Amino acid sequence: MSDPPHIAPGAASASGRRPASPSAEPETGPALGRDPFAEEPGSEALVSRLDALERRRPRRRPKPRAPAADAPQPDLPQGRARGPSHPRTPALAEVELPEESDFWDRLLPERARRALSATSHLVEGEAATDRFGFSPETARKALPWFHALYRGWFRTRSRGHEHLPERGGAVLASNHAGLLPFDAAMTVVDVLMHTDPPRLARAVVDRWAGELPFVNIFYARVGQVVGTHENFAELLEDEQLVLVFPEGAAGVTKPLRERYRLQDFHVGFVEHALRGRVPIVPMAVVGSDDQAPMLFDLKPLARALGMPAVPITPTFPWLGPLGLLPLPVRYRIVYGEPLDFHERFGPEGAEDARLVHYLAAEVRRAVGALIESERG
Amino acid sequence: MTRVLVTHADEPIGRGVVKCLARDPRVEAIFAVGRGPTPRAFDALLARGGPDTQYARADLARHRSAIDLFHSQRFRDAAIDSVVQLPPHAADGSREGPSWEGLTEITAETRLVVQLALEARSVKNLVALGSAYVYRLQPGNANRLTEDSELDFDPRLPPELRAWVDADMIVHGEVRGERLRVVLLRAPTVVGSRGDLFLSPLLHPDRPLARATGFDPLCPVISHRDLARAIDAALFAGCSGIFNVAGRELLPLSALVRWAGRSAWSVPHPLLGALGRGARLLGAGWRRLPFDGPALRYGFSLDTRRAERELGFRPADRIGVTPPGDGQPRLETTSAG
Repeated sequence: MSDPPHIAPGAASASGRRPASPSAEPETGPALGRDPFAEEPGSEALVSRLDALERRRPRRRPKPRAPAADAPQPDLPQGRARGPSHPRTPALAEVELPEESDFWDRLLPERARRALSATSHLVEGEAATDRFGFSPETARKALPWFHALYRGWFRTRSRGHEHLPERGGAVLASNHAGLLPFDAAMTVVDVLMHTDPPRLARAVVDRWAGELPFVNIFYARVGQVVGTHENFAELLEDEQLVLVFPEGAAGVTKPLRERYRLQDFHVGFVEHALRGRVPIVPMAVVGSDDQAPMLFDLKPLARALGMPAVPITPTFPWLGPLGLLPLPVRYRIVYGEPLDFHERFGPEGAEDARLVHYLAAEVRRAVGALIESERG
Repeated sequence: MTRVLVTHADEPIGRGVVKCLARDPRVEAIFAVGRGPTPRAFDALLARGGPDTQYARADLARHRSAIDLFHSQRFRDAAIDSVVQLPPHAADGSREGPSWEGLTEITAETRLVVQLALEARSVKNLVALGSAYVYRLQPGNANRLTEDSELDFDPRLPPELRAWVDADMIVHGEVRGERLRVVLLRAPTVVGSRGDLFLSPLLHPDRPLARATGFDPLCPVISHRDLARAIDAALFAGCSGIFNVAGRELLPLSALVRWAGRSAWSVPHPLLGALGRGARLLGAGWRRLPFDGPALRYGFSLDTRRAERELGFRPADRIGVTPPGDGQPRLETTSAG
């Protein structure tokens, strides 16, 4: 595992841009208690404050990472004890599948069935859903379709699964592209298929999705969560794997000429990772930028309709809704080494707006490097 | 020993509260009031002995009636030291009217009871039951609401919810007062013993029921027995404040409607709003219109840790559906043992 990133005196953000003002950043609102009357940092030198923060934090030994999913699993205890409301996820070998299988079961390989079955522990008792709305039954019917897309349509290849934490909360930070969030869906399938015990990545979606009829239900039932500060914090408190796209809607609506160029990152996920004392795993999805090349965005119409974008692509709107289907490009997913900012700066680092912007830029740089390495 | 006044004691939640208090050895006397005649359920209670229980008819939403009760000799002789203020919640088709005036009942009654409890020298404790639907909901299905979450002050809020918010604010204003120890409990939809639903603006028994097409919000619920236990715990907790109380279950609205044996129209939300506005212009009473508020689209859950910590309240019942032996699944509450 590499050392945490070194912060040079007077360092600017990796993107070369000046960090946006916190007030202009919707992800950094005062919902979790930032004092709006507190003085903005600035007069004090960043480096001295970072040093002070670091001195207050005892250095901890890095935790051993889980081996690759297909490597033989040693006989290790399955994570730290959790409260009674969060029973541990069973390993694949522990999952007992019912002898009788129905139509939906037969569409999936046994490993996927076991992985999906293991995630049902997220729902307490006899309830149909967890408190975020995840329904194992709906997921069981949705996974065959997404698995078919994963294998057949996008022919997904992935690597770096050893960087996915076996247990505990973590934030997966990825690039975002392609109009419709197939990159999120493929990442969820990939994580589910390559972790043992299986982990369900809970993708944080735009609030706009929560207002869309049917879409809001589907997203909730397959485990996606609307991105409010409270939801984010509670997912990490529940030791879940949170998938974020810090570019937000700007990522999926970027025009063709900006493909594979990362947009500005929102920074709320860094605050939550620091407060929740969890690592950030940078990752990249290569291929999604090519699935729906956007030629134009009818911004005035989008504003009038209250939508993030009204795209014009080679196929949309000319082919109707079918024009939104992605092109059959190959997806390549790569996971980078976890960034343990929380070990260096602790939860109090989340209160420092400049530090948070700096760390978000570090994540952005790491994601950019993964994209470049994968594109060759 | 405590001497308690319970309002709306003739309605289902009130009857449950009186029964729960009657079993509590710390309660010396129960002074129950309601708008209807003495409930039959109280006959067994009176015959069995236990705390001294009296029942009187009074409509506390009317100023004269409330004054008469609180200033009566019987009230003074009873030396009531605690008041449990419950909202009207039973179906009451007789109150249908062309105007929206009926909605102010909750607010008027809360204001009168709080004011008269403050004036009555013997009263030391006030426990008021409010609604968890007073919170502002955001898009999505996972609004986790604490007692400090923002209330919904949107001017476009349906009048029935605005009445709840007003009543909540009236009690909230006295929580820090020195004269009374005030506890405000915010409860979600209450599930009765036979699967009846109370205190839900979405599922009011007198109103037509509609769902916003394409939305299925998660709804917290609490059993009537657990709610009575929460009120009992609040009476004797010794602390004041606002507390969320809820059961363990979160049910999608579709399941709640189905299990309650009701049917709902599925209407696109913009159309629902337009229909409501049109019907109001034509003078239709609120009971003729389905609910149209954010809770129809956005789900929520309640953070009940404060009640657990300070009141010592934990839900004991499970809420589920009976085995469909008769072909018609129904909601029921069962003790979790």
